[in-house]
Amino acid sequence: MPLREKSDQELSKLLSEYGIKHGPIVDSTRKLYEKKLEEAMEDAPVEVPSPDKTFYREEVEEVTYITYHHSPVRQEVNSDVVRRRGNAEPDKEEEPLQYTEPPVQISKRTANHSAAPGIKESGCSVWKGVRLLLLLAVLAAAVYYAYCRVVNNEEDPFGIQ
Amino acid sequence: MSTTSQKHRDFVGEPMGDKSVTSLSGIGEILGKKLEQQGFDKAYVVLGQFLLLKKDSEMFSEWLKDASGANSRQAGSCSQCLREWCDSFL
Repeated sequence: MPLREKSDQELSKLLSEYGIKHGPIVDSTRKLYEKKLEEAMEDAPVEVPSPDKTFYREEVEEVTYITYHHSPVRQEVNSDVVRRRGNAEPDKEEEPLQYTEPPVQISKRTANHSAAPGIKESGCSVWKGVRLLLLLAVLAAAVYYAYCRVVNNEEDPFGIQ
Repeated sequence: MSTTSQKHRDFVGEPMGDKSVTSLSGIGEILGKKLEQQGFDKAYVVLGQFLLLKKDSEMFSEWLKDASGANSRQAGSCSQCLREWCDSFL
């Protein structure tokens, strides 16, 4: 589109884009500004480009690993379902079973056992190991005690030595 | 250092009133006639054009060269004349 056919406003806008200080575009000034613009366009043929950038954003995806546990509970539940249904087709065992317990264990869960709720959580892995060892020791002692009792029950009651 | 002519000093020393376009510094008879043909028959009309161009000396000089065929010296002289007049009276 030649400059001559542009409106006064369009011309004014172009002049501003090329950084040409100008006054009102009237009959007596129009020709001059057209000439100025032509000169400017020859020097810099590339027009002011409109910003058209596409931004690519790298999104960090959080991956959670989900593990399914096929415990023997399933079989029992299966039979329950069959009994409950009664006349329902027993062939359709593969239909969505209603698990009593959610078999899905999301590995995000930390090993915060409720065995020692009283102990304050320090957050240090060393203390967790120590706690685990303590628990194992207590369990071993209990098992040994029970074993002794069972063994001694055949003869004398345990405690009399 | 600019040496101004008598014509210049005469023009910038007082309000222009209805002075002819040829009273402007740098504008002689030939250039004056050319401007009159385009409707610029009085000094104040040329002043009007100078003001429309926002008192930009370079722009005005360029316009004057195109409109009347003035050379750089003449255009520059007229431009300076008008600028100084504006400084005093506008």
